[in-house]
Amino acid sequence: MVKEEQEESSNRPDNTAFTQQRLPAWQPILSASIVIPMFLLIGAAFIGVGVALFITSRDIQLQELDYTGDDSEHPCFKCRTNTEKCTCSMTFSIPTLFKGPVFFYYGLTNYFQNQRKYGASKDDNQLYGDLNYFTSPSTDCDPYTRDSKNMPIVPCGALANSMFNDTFTLSHTVNGVQKIVPLDGKGIAWWTDYNIKYRNPSITPLINAFNGTKKPTNWPKPIYELDTTDVYNNGFINQDFLVWMRRAALPDFRKLYRRITHDDYAAGLPAGNYTLTIAYNYPVHSFNGKKKVVLSNVSWMGGKNDFLGIAYIVVGSMCVVMSVVMLIVYARFKFAEDV
Amino acid sequence: MSKEDVESGLTWEVKANSRHYHKHKQRKSFLCFTWGRYSDNVVRSHKYSLLTFLPLTLFEQFQRAANIYFLLMVVLQCVPAISSIPWYITIIPLLVVLSVRGLKDLASDMARRRCDSEINSRPCDVLVSQSFMTAQWKDVCVGDLLRIRRDQIIPADLLLLSSSEPHSLCYVETADIDGETNLKYRQALGATHNELTSHPSEEALGAFNGVVLCEEPNNRLYTFRGQLQWQGECFLLENEHVLLRGTVLRNTDFAYGLTIYTGADTKILRNCGKLRAKRTQLEEVFNKVVIGIVLSVLLAALLLAIGAGVFSYQVMTQTSFLSALVVDGNPAYNGFLVYWSYIILLSPAMPIALYITFEVIHTIHSKFIGWDLEMYWKQTDKPAEARNTSLSEELGQVGYLLSDKTGTLTQNRLLLRQCCIAGQIYGDASVRAEDVKPMDLSWNPFSSGGLRMFSPTLVETLRGQRCPVTTQFLSALALCHTVMAEWKEGSPVYQAASPDEETLVGAARELGWVFLSRTRDFVVVSELGATRQYQLLALLDFTSKRRRMSVLVRDPEGGLKLYCKGADVVILERLQKNCPHQESTEMALELFAEACLRTLCVAVRSVPEALWERWSETLALSAAMATCERDTLLEKLYDEMERDLLLLGVTAIEDRLQEGVPETIALLQEAGIRVWVLTGDKKETAVNIGYACRLLHPESRLLEWQELRQILQSADPQVSFFKAKQTELWATHKEMARAKTSVVLTGSELAEFEERPEWGASFMSLAEQCQSVLCCRVTPAQKAEIVKLVRKHTASITMSIGDGANDVNMIKTAHIGVGLAGREGGQAVHNADFAVSQFRFLQRLLLVHGRWSYRRISLFLRYFLFKTCGFALVHIWFGILNGFSAQSLYETWFIALYTVFYTAVPVMCMAFFEQDVSAESSLKFPELYKSGQKKELSSPRKLVTYLLYAVYMSLVLFFIPCGVFYNTAYDYQTMAVTVSMAATFAVTVEIVILTKYWTKFNIAALCVSVVMFFICTRITHSTRLFQSSPADYFFLGVSEKAFIDPVVWLTALLTAWTAVLPSVTFHAFNVILSVHNKHKIHNSSPPPVELTSRFARGSSLRRSSYAISQGAGPGRLIHSATSIQRAEALKEEKVSTSKKLRDI
Repeated sequence: MVKEEQEESSNRPDNTAFTQQRLPAWQPILSASIVIPMFLLIGAAFIGVGVALFITSRDIQLQELDYTGDDSEHPCFKCRTNTEKCTCSMTFSIPTLFKGPVFFYYGLTNYFQNQRKYGASKDDNQLYGDLNYFTSPSTDCDPYTRDSKNMPIVPCGALANSMFNDTFTLSHTVNGVQKIVPLDGKGIAWWTDYNIKYRNPSITPLINAFNGTKKPTNWPKPIYELDTTDVYNNGFINQDFLVWMRRAALPDFRKLYRRITHDDYAAGLPAGNYTLTIAYNYPVHSFNGKKKVVLSNVSWMGGKNDFLGIAYIVVGSMCVVMSVVMLIVYARFKFAEDV
Repeated sequence: MSKEDVESGLTWEVKANSRHYHKHKQRKSFLCFTWGRYSDNVVRSHKYSLLTFLPLTLFEQFQRAANIYFLLMVVLQCVPAISSIPWYITIIPLLVVLSVRGLKDLASDMARRRCDSEINSRPCDVLVSQSFMTAQWKDVCVGDLLRIRRDQIIPADLLLLSSSEPHSLCYVETADIDGETNLKYRQALGATHNELTSHPSEEALGAFNGVVLCEEPNNRLYTFRGQLQWQGECFLLENEHVLLRGTVLRNTDFAYGLTIYTGADTKILRNCGKLRAKRTQLEEVFNKVVIGIVLSVLLAALLLAIGAGVFSYQVMTQTSFLSALVVDGNPAYNGFLVYWSYIILLSPAMPIALYITFEVIHTIHSKFIGWDLEMYWKQTDKPAEARNTSLSEELGQVGYLLSDKTGTLTQNRLLLRQCCIAGQIYGDASVRAEDVKPMDLSWNPFSSGGLRMFSPTLVETLRGQRCPVTTQFLSALALCHTVMAEWKEGSPVYQAASPDEETLVGAARELGWVFLSRTRDFVVVSELGATRQYQLLALLDFTSKRRRMSVLVRDPEGGLKLYCKGADVVILERLQKNCPHQESTEMALELFAEACLRTLCVAVRSVPEALWERWSETLALSAAMATCERDTLLEKLYDEMERDLLLLGVTAIEDRLQEGVPETIALLQEAGIRVWVLTGDKKETAVNIGYACRLLHPESRLLEWQELRQILQSADPQVSFFKAKQTELWATHKEMARAKTSVVLTGSELAEFEERPEWGASFMSLAEQCQSVLCCRVTPAQKAEIVKLVRKHTASITMSIGDGANDVNMIKTAHIGVGLAGREGGQAVHNADFAVSQFRFLQRLLLVHGRWSYRRISLFLRYFLFKTCGFALVHIWFGILNGFSAQSLYETWFIALYTVFYTAVPVMCMAFFEQDVSAESSLKFPELYKSGQKKELSSPRKLVTYLLYAVYMSLVLFFIPCGVFYNTAYDYQTMAVTVSMAATFAVTVEIVILTKYWTKFNIAALCVSVVMFFICTRITHSTRLFQSSPADYFFLGVSEKAFIDPVVWLTALLTAWTAVLPSVTFHAFNVILSVHNKHKIHNSSPPPVELTSRFARGSSLRRSSYAISQGAGPGRLIHSATSIQRAEALKEEKVSTSKKLRDI
């Protein structure tokens, strides 16, 4: 049939739903009776989620300790401007059981790890263990590509150079005796970072791979000595290094330092007094930064986050208010018409 | 060339039969240099050649600011110091855009080239060394002698030297030039006629060595000034001697001509304006918005750069880990670099993909126009065609429709539908012409069908010869005309200068009064089979002033009769006193007028022999007089003869409108479109058609030049216009209160506008008040002037529609040009933006395709703006929290893929398929069209609102995730994925809100886009890609983790919902309020029915007219060719003597 038509007139357009713009289509016709309940429903759902989030977040325990030492009373005040090795300790008490698993974070404020040049100042190829980039690192790393003697720096770049190097020990005072709380440094970095993104050159011993290179200028020891006890935590795949290299999104951030998973503390930190001993190395006073230690447990939604819950409740309430306004507007028109 | 020639302006020199002389001076060009004088006869409407394509297309494309901008971006991105995103993110879309556009241009240029070469290779006969050879048009050169055969199109402007007809007359059809389909005659000079036809033509022509001096090429179609110098004499040349390119030779076996102007120098090509790229207003508005965006981006970048400078100075230099990153330790320099980085980073706010998507959408819309079966015309097997694919949305905004008349509104077919003989009306005009039952005319061997009048009583009366008035009426029709008969296959074929006459003579033939042939002194007519020879004593020709013509004949019985036909007003005042049937005939005239038929009164007078003798003596005397005196005397003489007439009857001719024209015009007027008719035809015809197609209402007042002039001259045209309307109101009937006014103008009156440019604005403001405007007797150039006038003084979109070459200029000048693919040549279509086969297809083209297209494209542009700006401006806010360092908040691949894969297809589907109301409803409720005219969907206010909305979205997109992730262990890359996800969700929800018509494609596109986001994100974050290039795919593993993180999801959902909340709320309120509005519409009472009387009063309604070509009729040629010959000879003598005098 169609063929015949085509034969008699070649220019005749095809009579299909598409060409004639008659495609079957669903044309949802909205009305007030759909729109208003929809708004109400969405609003209610948002409020529900918000409340759930808020409650969950409230139940998360959080212990935050600022150890910057800006205050002269502060035990770490002495270390603030000290360039030498300096240790200070802070005590705090936990009134009730701090439910496990407990995560041990360090936090920095006013620290622009998301600065573009700073963030870009690394060489992904080098960190992937490509030896070619050991001898000639990418210019992205400037001015941390080579040292004053024109030796290539590995790992190059500002990001690596500024690696956080405070260390912490946490001890629990049990019957007046300080008992070290074992901190677990395994598995704090991302799986992909540890297994794929960062790699040591396949040369054993590792140190040989770094012949002819220099350590970053700020570092006390080269990368292949970050953890000499554990081959799988040394070099580029050192977990602390990996955590640092994963840039923070915003100037105030936390980074996971350790987890408390030891059998004695698997259920959490019991109530009591604790002492935090800090090897204070990292200078922050130049940019008015703060350094913190944060102990926190987690829920299904991760760490404590009141903002999300509140935001959900606010937006949900807005929807509900809007639906009420719509109802009033609708009723007024309805009313006016009926009259 | 003598000095005098230069002074008189005759500087164009053509030597016959000297190809070398002219060839040498032919115009040539290389790059932009041209030299030489005479252009060749090749039409070149294409732009590119093999060599010039690449540079030209690049040059053209980089005139578009957006492309330049993006080229700049690519260049900037290659500078490592400022590159905030990799260079390949921008160059890929740029290359795609450039190549798609270039290919498209190339394709359309190839089409033009094909079309040109078809014209250029048309055959024609050129005289080469004493014999005619078939050559192609492109080979014709100035000075060539051509032989044009019957029905051939004339390839160049020629001087007619001689023709196969007596006195070297020849007939041309000028439909392609002025739209008139009647034949015009042209006559060669007596001298050339005599010399060149006496010998075998080739030899004589080969020896012809005349030199033509004439004016430089110009665009004046109706004038020609020149002289022919030949055999030591000098002959004046006029328009009558010239055959123009594009006209068709008719009724003449051969015509020989000397080529004067070729190619671009010809009058018709001079009349075609320049090829001009058309841009839609919406696109212009949008370009402005884009420029606005660019400026805002530059400003924002500047502020951010200042921020960066301050940050470098205050924070970075103090911060141990950042201080080394301040380039050269100079904060100001740092700020300078950051400035460029931000320009790059914010550049996605300027949508490059927009232009290419825009073009794709335009193309699809154009395809839809071509695919529409309802605009397919079966008779000619032609679908509608969008030749310019980038104007479709303007079809939805047309405010003024300027239409040609002949061939556009009318079919160019005249039919005798009714007549009134001796007060008796025959035929019925209320039946459509197609439905008229054919009468049995088998008794008449000359009948060839085609009479659309059913009236057996008339036939009976005629055959019975019962009524002498009826017989006389038919004799009048068969005798009183200037038609020529040509015998073909045993039956006469009529050729007439006036289509009306052809129709009448044809109708008489059907009814048994067959005009067989004419010689100079006799007219032979077969009356019901009996051949009778009438002696033609005098032919009182038609002029537009006299509005009538008469013949004085001596019938075979020896009686002298004057048959006269003409406009009713003229004839009725010349009737004898107490003429029978006058009253009933006037009634009939009213009736015919009501039915929009063109009427002619026919009358007779028996002339006493004595009167004739006296009269003919005076006539003979007058022939010897000087031209101007003669004319006045002749007029007086004619007037004396055409008196005491006896009214025979009235003919009523229908100028067949094209199908559906009145309905279409009515519908378009309802849709708020002002319809103007511009025609080269005479006023009476135009007004008549105006009534027939309901452009003019029977009640409406015609505002003519005198009155209009007064209004325009008055201090305040508006006031005096209304005053004029008011007096009308009080003076006449109550119904006039609603009367509408229409303006009728002629070309010569329009010419005054050019002298008084200040009238333009006030005229246009008056025209706004008027229902319609009718311009008659306008030249192609004037048509374009009118379009320009409208364009200049209103902000509306203008659309021109026409079918002939005379409309080309106006088609090109208007915002949108529509060509009617009719019977006349393809010139109009060739230059038009859209081609349709029927005027009524405009309904669908404007109200359905135009409206949809406008709506779709407005929504598309608005949404596109929203999605690109909303997504790119996030970086401004992020800058505040990252030290103004031009850090991107997105993964670079997301930036590249966002516009292409994640958001482009659903909006394109919407732009393809969206329909707010169905095609049927669009036609049913033409008022819906008005929203496009008012630019409701595309007003700058709307666009600005949408931009603000985009800014709001960018704020939400950044600050909600920022609040969630502040002071947490979430890293930058997770946040980047979260914000991307939120942005994708938000724009997806927005398109869901905008789409009202969900086809399967829309749903699929939506789902695919969202799924694409997840898949592509996972792919760019995959191990394999990272391993192949660690520096380009450093987001390894982020999505893997983020996509299963509840906080990421909850944040993205919250952000997306908050971002679209204003839009959702707005639409929800719209739904609630529109329910209310719908009620209002339903409740509103229909407008009171207008009471109009069936029969209107006053003779002003009568529309009697007689269409004949410009100037006087050809009667004098037919009747007294010898005297013409004599006159011409006299004239030529005069010229040569004056020349001689000058030489002395």
